[in-house]
Amino acid sequence: MSNVTVPLRRDPDDRKSTKQAEREAEQARKRAAEERKRQEAERKRDEAARKREEDRKKREAEARKKKDDDDRKRRGKPTTAPTPKPTSAPTPRPTAQPTPQPTASATAGPTQQPTPQPTEAPTSSPTGEPSAGPTDGPSEQPTPEPSQQPTQQPTRGPRPDDDEMPRHRFRSQVDFSSDQLDLDRPVTEFRQTPHSSVYLEVFNRDLRFDDGATFEMWSFDSPQSGRGFPGPLIRPLEGEIFHATVHPSMGPHTIHWHGLEPDPRNDGVGHTSFEIGGTYTYQWAPEPGRPGDPNYGAAGTYFYHCHVNTVLHAQMGMFGPVIVDPVVHPDYPVTPGARRAFVDGPEYDIDTESIVIPYSLDPRWHEMHHAAGLSGEDVGLNRFEPKHFYLIGGELTRRRSGDNRVWSLSALRANVAGGAKKPTLLRILNANYLPNHMHFTTADGEPVRMAELIAHDGRPFRDTSVPGAPAPTCREAGYPLLTSVLAFGAAERYDVILHPPEPGEYRLRVEWEDWITGEILGVREVPITAA
Amino acid sequence: MTEQIPEPDHGTTGSAASELAATVSADTGSAVAATADVAGAEAGQPDGTAETASVGRWHFLKYGAAAGLGALALGGLGGAAPAQATAAGLRSPARSAPSTVRAPGIAPAGRAPANNTQANNTQAGGTQAGAATGTRPSAVVPIPGVLDLYINEGYLKMVDDSLVYHRGFGDRPTGLRDASPSLAVVPKVFTADGRLEESRTYPLGAALPPRGTPLPYGPDPANPGQYFIRRNHWASYFPARNIIAETGSMLRFRVHNRLAKEHEFVLHDVGPNHADAGTGPIAPGQSALLELPCPPAGTYIYTDPTNAPVERTLGLFGALVVMDPVHQWDITPGKASFERQWVWMCHAVESNWASIEAAGGTVDPLQTKAVPRYFTLNGRSGYESLAMTRNDALNLASEEETLVSGYPRQLDVRQFGEGSTAGTLRGGQLVRLINPGIVYHQIHFHGNHLWTVRRNNYHWPRSDGYVDQQGHVVLQQWEDVVELEPMDRKDCIIPVKRPPDSLEQVWNARTTDWEYPMHCHAEPSQTAAGGMYPGGLVAHWNLKAPIPWEGA
Ligand SMILES: [Cu+2]
Ligand SMILES: [Cu+2]
Repeated sequence: MSNVTVPLRRDPDDRKSTKQAEREAEQARKRAAEERKRQEAERKRDEAARKREEDRKKREAEARKKKDDDDRKRRGKPTTAPTPKPTSAPTPRPTAQPTPQPTASATAGPTQQPTPQPTEAPTSSPTGEPSAGPTDGPSEQPTPEPSQQPTQQPTRGPRPDDDEMPRHRFRSQVDFSSDQLDLDRPVTEFRQTPHSSVYLEVFNRDLRFDDGATFEMWSFDSPQSGRGFPGPLIRPLEGEIFHATVHPSMGPHTIHWHGLEPDPRNDGVGHTSFEIGGTYTYQWAPEPGRPGDPNYGAAGTYFYHCHVNTVLHAQMGMFGPVIVDPVVHPDYPVTPGARRAFVDGPEYDIDTESIVIPYSLDPRWHEMHHAAGLSGEDVGLNRFEPKHFYLIGGELTRRRSGDNRVWSLSALRANVAGGAKKPTLLRILNANYLPNHMHFTTADGEPVRMAELIAHDGRPFRDTSVPGAPAPTCREAGYPLLTSVLAFGAAERYDVILHPPEPGEYRLRVEWEDWITGEILGVREVPITAA
Repeated sequence: MTEQIPEPDHGTTGSAASELAATVSADTGSAVAATADVAGAEAGQPDGTAETASVGRWHFLKYGAAAGLGALALGGLGGAAPAQATAAGLRSPARSAPSTVRAPGIAPAGRAPANNTQANNTQAGGTQAGAATGTRPSAVVPIPGVLDLYINEGYLKMVDDSLVYHRGFGDRPTGLRDASPSLAVVPKVFTADGRLEESRTYPLGAALPPRGTPLPYGPDPANPGQYFIRRNHWASYFPARNIIAETGSMLRFRVHNRLAKEHEFVLHDVGPNHADAGTGPIAPGQSALLELPCPPAGTYIYTDPTNAPVERTLGLFGALVVMDPVHQWDITPGKASFERQWVWMCHAVESNWASIEAAGGTVDPLQTKAVPRYFTLNGRSGYESLAMTRNDALNLASEEETLVSGYPRQLDVRQFGEGSTAGTLRGGQLVRLINPGIVYHQIHFHGNHLWTVRRNNYHWPRSDGYVDQQGHVVLQQWEDVVELEPMDRKDCIIPVKRPPDSLEQVWNARTTDWEYPMHCHAEPSQTAAGGMYPGGLVAHWNLKAPIPWEGA
């Protein structure tokens, strides 16, 4: 068995050249030096960790106290602290059922003012040359070539050993959980002039849901959106540079663009890049699609969510939908009033385009603080026991902005074939932690195969059976993926064209299932009116 | 609680219930106790033919141990050898009387560990010294080509350093207080030519990827910053609990129940019509043989289905990966070729159930609802799975077995196969997602979508797709979240390509690896002991930095 350590040579000969041997020796020296540095850094780190832990405890105590005070103010009654007691058995505490209360009153959001739009103007140049303006990024020089160093380090790239190094080594899981890199003003590398941009802040407040229950929610808002739930829709175009400037409050947060695939700094994950204490501008450009090509194109349905203590922050409402619209290809023109789901995808009617977001809520979780569990205390975040089940969403052009609104789905419309209108596109986003089934039925509950699945997780379903040949959509290939039922789970998205067989009323039923037993825990239904 | 029956998702309506089991009493040593239990009247032929035909391949499976023992005896070992060896091995002093093993010794240890992290850390070493015999129980005399599995118990350290009682199929006998109990096999390979080899890597003899990362063939001149990938070259590392088998081999197991209750070893879905094959219940202190012809290339789960899903959840599970020895870099001959493969086994640890069983009780899964407290990938959680500990060996194992890594390449999902240059592959890496656990996982990758090609060894078509009765799309497709129900297996290709939405400038300037998370999006699985995000079922994958190319 040959253990190949320097296999980066085309030539199968195993003998090393002297030069190569020297390089390896040099590498080994370097590695040893790095190792020494690393150990020193770890030693320092341990010292710092102890101090940080103390600080953190202090801060948490303060935060809890503050939250208690807020709660008292808000609810007019004292609330128990979120008990970071390391209890042995995961004893399910009786979940405090928050009494429905009118929300409008005392704003809980402690700090933030609607800050004005930041630096860059949302220029929307349609065919803009994006590469032109490396604007205000301070230090970075576009170095398109990887630097040609003589050292060959195939397995381990040279790593900066300062605090920006993503892969630290930790003494324990608690150290790792409680010690995410929190940067105040991380730099957007190769910052360009964006085609579109958004400014997002974080807020918390009590919001009232369509069943009358009120819960503390945390989410994102833009200057235009108002503070509601979920966060505002973000809708960039394929091929264009998009910026999102986020200014978190109430502790560090990030924005992860779920399903979009930028470089790690712009991916918005705390433990692989950094958490944002101050402000950061995310930058990415959704890949343009090519007709018939299954390897390209980002058009489709996504969402953004906070990726700090995600289990809690996403449940608290820190997410919003993202839709990437396709480039328009000359072979696939678009009718007025319609849009395509992806570059060579079907046209749909803009007016009735809708989104449905299954979401379920465990009231116990909505009493927790930002960093619950991160210091090793058992806060029961392994137990998600939702008591409320919601369908969030509606017609995209009709979401009302303004504070304190929960975007509740009460009804859907669907166009019937034969008229002047294109069919209706329903986007489905699972913002939930449980498996779901979604059923399309008649008013009496009989299944109707009216849902055509055209895309999943931002990628079209295509026929890829002929290598090298164009990959048509399933409908073009003769087998539209029609169904009356869809099984899906956390974070998945489906794009569905609705084909009601005739005018009339249909139903959309969503079931939430236990993540272990599969038992149905909740059901919601909305009417679909076909005309 | 409804135990998931492996959902075949085939055209056939999959009556997966037919379990064909056979046992042999080790003490009697004769091939008597064969209990071929054909449950749930099978559809048509397979049974009918098996009943009447003489000894076919399937006969081996059906009458497992009985037929197997005969074959072993003929293999020159002497008829009595296996039985005697077995009996002797099991009569080690510490384990002789199952009923006495339980009560006194276990109670204190069984109760204490879960949360008292400090105290029990030291416990591990100490108790071993204090154990009754002072030595480890001795193993049975091995039989060439036969894999001895020992059903052991012991305590495993969780990511928060607490100790949780586990059971497992080990490959050496160990006692409850063993500091490093054998609760998972070191990977073994059943070769087509009849050998059984211990190896963490496969194919045997193929080049080992340094720290798990296959190095490229050379730069891709047409696509600066990308690489040609070596075809049919790199070995893959496999995690513990994995058994590898080559098609054409005969799988032979001898399973030793070293615990106080009945247990069983079952390979799921390996027979015709997705039938299971197993030893049948094995009494405490007894052993059983199972012999079966290797099933078709694919991914399988083995468990102890006793009191399902309790014994499985306590750790009695693992995976069998079957490869074609002639196509060692293909999922199955003629289908997707890959650079290397990764096996990802998901699991959820229920420490409350573990405590009940450790104290001698029996969990009723309907009465005591499962509330998993730890979530593992290849047996590791959180910073251990992410190779961010200060234990170099642990980090290395994670990198080799779990943390997908590779050099960026150009590929086309319409065909994973030979590249334009000889010796190169146009393709990605294979990730076998396996869920022997009890929770529905939602495996999410950042940085690249995955191309899913198979579910439960059913190869999804590239044409004529459809939505099945349950509402799942049956067609090869891109996904950034892959559903993984309990007992499901999915085979996905990670393309290891340039993250498509990154800016050109940023991509061209990269000098370091780009590291992306993988995690389950059923987010409670991201916790450990009720918090400590991200302490659960997480991993990274690593897109390697450019190499300054020699002479390029
Ligand atoms: Cu996500
Ligand atoms: Cu994520």
